[in-house]
Amino acid sequence: MKKVRKVVSLFLTAVLLTSMMAGCSSSAQTAAAGTPATDSAAPAAASGAEDKVIRVGVICAMTGGSAIYGEGAQNAVDMAVEEINSSDSEYKIEIVNGGKIADDAKDAKQAMNAYNKVMADGPEALVGSFFSSVTLPMAEQAAKDGMLLLATGATNSAVTLKGDTIFRNCFIDPYQGKMAALFVKGKGLTKVAVIYAKDDDYSNGLKDAFIENCESNGIEVAYVGECMTTDTDFSSQTAQAVASGAEFLYYPCFLDTVPLFVGAARNAGFTGIIMGGDGWDGSDTTGLADKFEGCYFTNHYSSEDTAPAVVNFVEKFTAKYGTESLNACAALYYDAMYMLVEAAKNGGGTDTASLVAGMKGMSFTGVGGDITLDENGDAIKSIVFNTYVDGEVKWSETLDADGNLVSSAS
Amino acid sequence: MSKKIRVSYLLNAVGVALVFVVLSILFSAGVFGTSTTYIQGICTTACYTIIMVASLNLVVGFMGEFSLGHAGFVSVGAYASAIVSGLLTGKGLPDLGLFLVALLAGGLAAGLMGVLVGIPALRLRGDYLAIVTMAFAEIIRVCFCNFSITGGGKTMSGILKLSTFPRAFWVMVVCVSIMFLFVRSKFGRTIRAIREDYIAASASGINVTFYKVMTFAVSAFFAGIGGSIYAHYMTAMIPTNFNFAYSAELLSEVIIGGTGSLTGSVIGAAFLSVLPEAMRDFATYRMLAYSVVLVLVMLFRPGGIFGHWEFSLTRLLGKLFKRDTVKEGA
Amino acid sequence: MTASLFVQGLINGLNQGAIYALIALGYTMVYGIIRMINFAHGDFIMIGAYTLFYTIPLMVNAGMPAWMAVIIAIVVCALVGVLVEILAYKPVRKAGSMSALITALAMSIFLENLAMVLFGAKPHNVQAIFSLPTVRIGTVSLPLNVLLTIAIGLLIMLAMQFFVKKTNLGKAMRAVPQDKDASTLVGINVDKIITLTFAIGSGLAAVAALMYCSTYPRVTNDMGSMMGMKAFIAAVLGGIGVIPGAMLGGILVGLIEIFVKLFAPGWYEAVTYGTLIVILLVKPSGILGKNVGEKV
Repeated sequence: MKKVRKVVSLFLTAVLLTSMMAGCSSSAQTAAAGTPATDSAAPAAASGAEDKVIRVGVICAMTGGSAIYGEGAQNAVDMAVEEINSSDSEYKIEIVNGGKIADDAKDAKQAMNAYNKVMADGPEALVGSFFSSVTLPMAEQAAKDGMLLLATGATNSAVTLKGDTIFRNCFIDPYQGKMAALFVKGKGLTKVAVIYAKDDDYSNGLKDAFIENCESNGIEVAYVGECMTTDTDFSSQTAQAVASGAEFLYYPCFLDTVPLFVGAARNAGFTGIIMGGDGWDGSDTTGLADKFEGCYFTNHYSSEDTAPAVVNFVEKFTAKYGTESLNACAALYYDAMYMLVEAAKNGGGTDTASLVAGMKGMSFTGVGGDITLDENGDAIKSIVFNTYVDGEVKWSETLDADGNLVSSAS
Repeated sequence: MSKKIRVSYLLNAVGVALVFVVLSILFSAGVFGTSTTYIQGICTTACYTIIMVASLNLVVGFMGEFSLGHAGFVSVGAYASAIVSGLLTGKGLPDLGLFLVALLAGGLAAGLMGVLVGIPALRLRGDYLAIVTMAFAEIIRVCFCNFSITGGGKTMSGILKLSTFPRAFWVMVVCVSIMFLFVRSKFGRTIRAIREDYIAASASGINVTFYKVMTFAVSAFFAGIGGSIYAHYMTAMIPTNFNFAYSAELLSEVIIGGTGSLTGSVIGAAFLSVLPEAMRDFATYRMLAYSVVLVLVMLFRPGGIFGHWEFSLTRLLGKLFKRDTVKEGA
Repeated sequence: MTASLFVQGLINGLNQGAIYALIALGYTMVYGIIRMINFAHGDFIMIGAYTLFYTIPLMVNAGMPAWMAVIIAIVVCALVGVLVEILAYKPVRKAGSMSALITALAMSIFLENLAMVLFGAKPHNVQAIFSLPTVRIGTVSLPLNVLLTIAIGLLIMLAMQFFVKKTNLGKAMRAVPQDKDASTLVGINVDKIITLTFAIGSGLAAVAALMYCSTYPRVTNDMGSMMGMKAFIAAVLGGIGVIPGAMLGGILVGLIEIFVKLFAPGWYEAVTYGTLIVILLVKPSGILGKNVGEKV
């Protein structure tokens, strides 16, 4: 009898297991179906070198409060891939996971699953993600797996320090903050206030760099206020910024709260310059055109720029998807695709090792201007200052990486 | 210990070991091909979610009180363990030892927090208790946003990746077993007596507050252990991860699995960890579908899929071999 | 802190508090009748805000006054509220408060994600229905919006008090939570009363959405969860189920938040929640909650 029981218990655990794994195995099957060419655990190097197709996994926040970035990223990636593959480029791009961006929902738990999910398709490079808080765990793992990770929006300086295979095409936090401080200096202002989102990496990073550079340039930081990323009311902080007598207000946060903040600051009687980082790109100014006068933000590109890459990107994107999701995130994901093609050319192959070799020290010109990757894998590039006229984003000036004026509108 | 119980324990142990062996074989044999890491990741996620959900079930199912702030305890465990493992790194401890020390630290910190929160909060009942637990969890989150040791609102990164699937699995098994024994003990029966009739329990000389706070603390302790695994799996975390939505997610997993059924929690948590992944292709619709599933469960099985019913390997075997059990019984 | 900053804080606090109060009125209404925390109430406000966002330009284009959009918003919100009640809440009502709570949570998730699928993820600015000027007295700026929001809040509060105290329907509403069976015996259609409560509560959400959008002119699909939570705290603080309590609680929460933000902006949420805990521990029925008979 005991033998029978053993057999049965074996059988039962198998049943239990299959029921538990039901979801997994189905996705495993679809993953396998999507990659008929790959049959072993490490197929990338073997198949990649000959077919001249870079297999790319893309990750971004597609659901939740930051889904607007994912929407832009998906559109931009679709557009870039279509352009590259229909051009006479030597190397083509294939997006794994059925051409879809894997969703991290701006949540670390889902980010790891998203990472593993795209890794299952045997990509040769990964692009993503937009937020530092979800990119850090991915970067840690990617460094361990030896996978190329091209971070797009993760501005936390720790990201690229995780390993040799981690790169990024966005600014790092300290850079934008420093440029904003130099901008203040250039305008001859002496008293500034900062209001930042306490529970966000990006905001913290920009704030720290801004304050540091202000102080080293002899600019007084009269008020530092905190808020949360989910806040809607800024009346208290802005009232204090006004009371502190600041002439310049720095608000390094994301586009969803920007209209509320600018409105609150103007209502509180702040008449000086309000400035933000690339998180401002895509902010809705409807009905607030007068309040957005005298607001600036630093960005990777300007929609008015006459550089062919920018004109092509903005025109095509607007024609295809409208301006709804045209933001900095879209531009960065778009550039990332072209950077990978460039890396393949430089490295002479589409396997991860060649791509990493091609990435190192790369110089690239795209929507985000002239980018050079430094020894850490961080992007050194020019920075664009945009302003608002009648609620429309207008290009103001472009500075190079050292803060020298490249060109200006006036 | 009667023969029957011994057999039952043995059977369950064999069952659990078999699940592990089969999973390990599947992973190492590469049956899933390139998806192995992906599936292993989901299984690790499922393991710590099971601990969190089962621990919440101690409060919700066995004590009969809402807690909408479980993520707070999870975060206390996660941050405490991350700090401890950070301090002990390079002190000559083997990885496994470090992992266990971190787990214990996380659990104890969360348990202590459970006592601190429980003493005032458990004077309230029902909806009000739910609100107060939520408020405490939010306060904990704000504190982590402001303390520099926890990153001060920024991502705390660079935590050692100590949580592997086998470790998470065995910690999960041990935790769930202890919780199982806990609810079957005299202590557990007392808790259930309080749930069924608060006044009668009090009248029969039970120190109601003590038992409630203790249960709350035990629940928080295990939540902290779950959080520790989380921290050492993610290697980076930000306080906003542990917001109200996470508490609500954990509570809904308890409810779907069945209040008062630990096996229900295990299967519910495993199922709901897998579900969003299985629905990845419909990313925009998955939360929509998730909420619909939740409402449907509430409509048709208000007590959750398992209700109070516990899955039992022994009983199942007994049913399959009716004659066998009769013989044993006789 | 200078005197002007203090006065400004007072005004800002009243402004935020008045909006919390408007939302809290709806919470209190529903809780008072069916003893259920309607987590989806904040999302009704989101629906109201989206309705305003889409209908105001339509109204303006059609040459009709923009405030007509509010009526549409009220109707839409009331309809959604009643639908949610009938489809989700009513079937689980007998299953106990735990099921009701989870269903409400689920409906909140559902509405937020439905809005994302329907309206997209991008935050939009809502066109202003009326633009009241901001009066500047010295360094203090007083948006006249504040006065209007408070006035509307008070008006609704009084109207609801009157409705609940003096009309037959209102009396029926008060009877239902006290004894469902007895209410049925005296000929009150309990289900109808609850549905009506939801219609009124959700309609109030549309009014709250209007005032919310005139101060914070932005709609997103997750705007309701945060606001709803704060308003809920306000309702509990004032004594949930008590109509004037919602008003008081809302203003209190608004003032507390604004003043804490003046000193330690990073801690304001902790202080709000801390106040809630203290109040609940000292006086679980809330500040105005002692007159049980007054519960709606």
